Amino acid sequence: MEELLIKRRNFIKTGGLAAAALAINPFEAMAAGDVVKLTILHTNDVHSRVEPFPMDGSRNQGLGGVARRAALIKRIRAEEQNVLLLDAGDIFQGTPYFNLYGGEVEMKLMTAMGYDAATMGNHDFDNGLEGFHKQLPHANFPIICSNYDFSNTLLKGATQPYKIFKKQGLKIGVFGVGIELKGLVEENNYGDTVYLNPVLKANEIAALLKKDLDCDLVICLSHLGYKYASAKVSDQVLAAQTSNIDLIIGGHTHTFMDVPEDVKNLSGGITTINQVGFAGINLGRVDYYFEKYKGKRAKAGAPYLINDLEA
Amino acid sequence: MLSSTKVVKRLVSFVSLIYLLSAISCSSAYELVKAERIEYPVNVSIAVDSAVLKTYLPYKAGLDSQMNRVIGHSALAMSKKSSDTLPESLLSNFFADATLVQARKMDTAIDFAMPSTKGGIRVDLPKGPITVSNIFELMPFENELVVCTIKGTEAQRLLEFIAASKGQPVAGLRMKIKDKKPVDVVINGKAFDISRNYRVLTSDYVSNGGDNTLGFKDPVEKKVLGLKVRDALLNEVKDKQAEGKTITAQLDGRITY
Repeated sequence: MEELLIKRRNFIKTGGLAAAALAINPFEAMAAGDVVKLTILHTNDVHSRVEPFPMDGSRNQGLGGVARRAALIKRIRAEEQNVLLLDAGDIFQGTPYFNLYGGEVEMKLMTAMGYDAATMGNHDFDNGLEGFHKQLPHANFPIICSNYDFSNTLLKGATQPYKIFKKQGLKIGVFGVGIELKGLVEENNYGDTVYLNPVLKANEIAALLKKDLDCDLVICLSHLGYKYASAKVSDQVLAAQTSNIDLIIGGHTHTFMDVPEDVKNLSGGITTINQVGFAGINLGRVDYYFEKYKGKRAKAGAPYLINDLEA
Repeated sequence: MLSSTKVVKRLVSFVSLIYLLSAISCSSAYELVKAERIEYPVNVSIAVDSAVLKTYLPYKAGLDSQMNRVIGHSALAMSKKSSDTLPESLLSNFFADATLVQARKMDTAIDFAMPSTKGGIRVDLPKGPITVSNIFELMPFENELVVCTIKGTEAQRLLEFIAASKGQPVAGLRMKIKDKKPVDVVINGKAFDISRNYRVLTSDYVSNGGDNTLGFKDPVEKKVLGLKVRDALLNEVKDKQAEGKTITAQLDGRITY
């Protein structure tokens, strides 16, 4: 916690927070049509937790539940004009809903909640590529995977390397990175999927989105995991070794973060990492305010004002 | 507004506009000026969305009829968190002992068991009534139990893996971890002997190197028992119930450091 605070202050100090000069009163500016607000809602590692945890005295009893999450999302959508709802993988496995229905329920519910995109976690391979493929007709949202090459598999063409969402003139680029499957997932279950270096791939796609395709914001859905004691690639490694990613929505390590972490990325800008535990116990939200630029704009990656709020 | 929006940290700084105008690029019409972050707990304070509830109710009905059956009782609560963080825990000991007891009904010559990694134990097991669903959530994977005959040198690698990862769910095995290495290893009551083969109960997932487990490369023999790990656990709960007993577990110092 303390570390996070210090880190954030450092950003302010080193960067000078030029942007704040333009954000004196975003609400007034919004009324004038100069500021556009984007709301990102996110989950990770929901693991087939359709109903809240049972009331049996265990640690998470009574928490989570899709019907509540749906109500919360609906409320936020009614209040906000520009909402993106995203998931960082491990949709499948963890309750008998998956054992009995193979993921159909999870996909139908995510569709009902209006998810805009999701990436794949290792447990989304638990019924094999075929098991995942079979549930895609129930998912009315794209599956975004940038570092799994499915060319020689059943999933060829079934996923997208990135997607650009347009909201009130804003362009938001979303891509997804997954964890190394070998040693984690049964070989039979991922078949001829080729795992590509997530840092290289992320740098390539984030640059494409930000520079060539003019995205105002780049979001990475990651199932790499927040951090490791070893040198294994994690969201912290990814954030520090890439440029052009504004937000990493993480997963895999089931990390309950007190507040999002802001990492200084390769080009000195801010890459924020957030992860909200698992099982739909929490819903994460990041609001970004954009100012319409009249004339020349500051270079991408300039520091900006950051507030962490309490629900 | 959705929340009381208590601002815990508000960091504002003003810098000359000139700085801004001097940093030049022009790829987009918008510039990011501010971020606000918040996290919502999803709990009983939120009324449910009935449309979504209706979407899953037919599935729930089918599931409950199969899953809500009480098949036994537990004498105590066993937590996943302690199995993640301690060298042995009530839950990891129960998990490993139960699978070994059930597997030995099918194969009497098993030396020791590591039926799962810590990561494969998924949820707490509550005190009191145990339903089919509790066991499905504890062990959601379709993994099959296998008995691998491995050389002593491979068994050594497995023991080293267990030590390096600060303990794993085991039965029939006692060891101490010193400097991340296994010492004073006792298998099935006898000191570990690297010159002999061992027959180890595990899952197909673990034996294929799942969770980067070491020690099962090129086994002398790999025998599939035809019993899923989950079914072994279900059988153990049912057996205890039939005997009029509760399921339970003890910390017996099988792995210490």
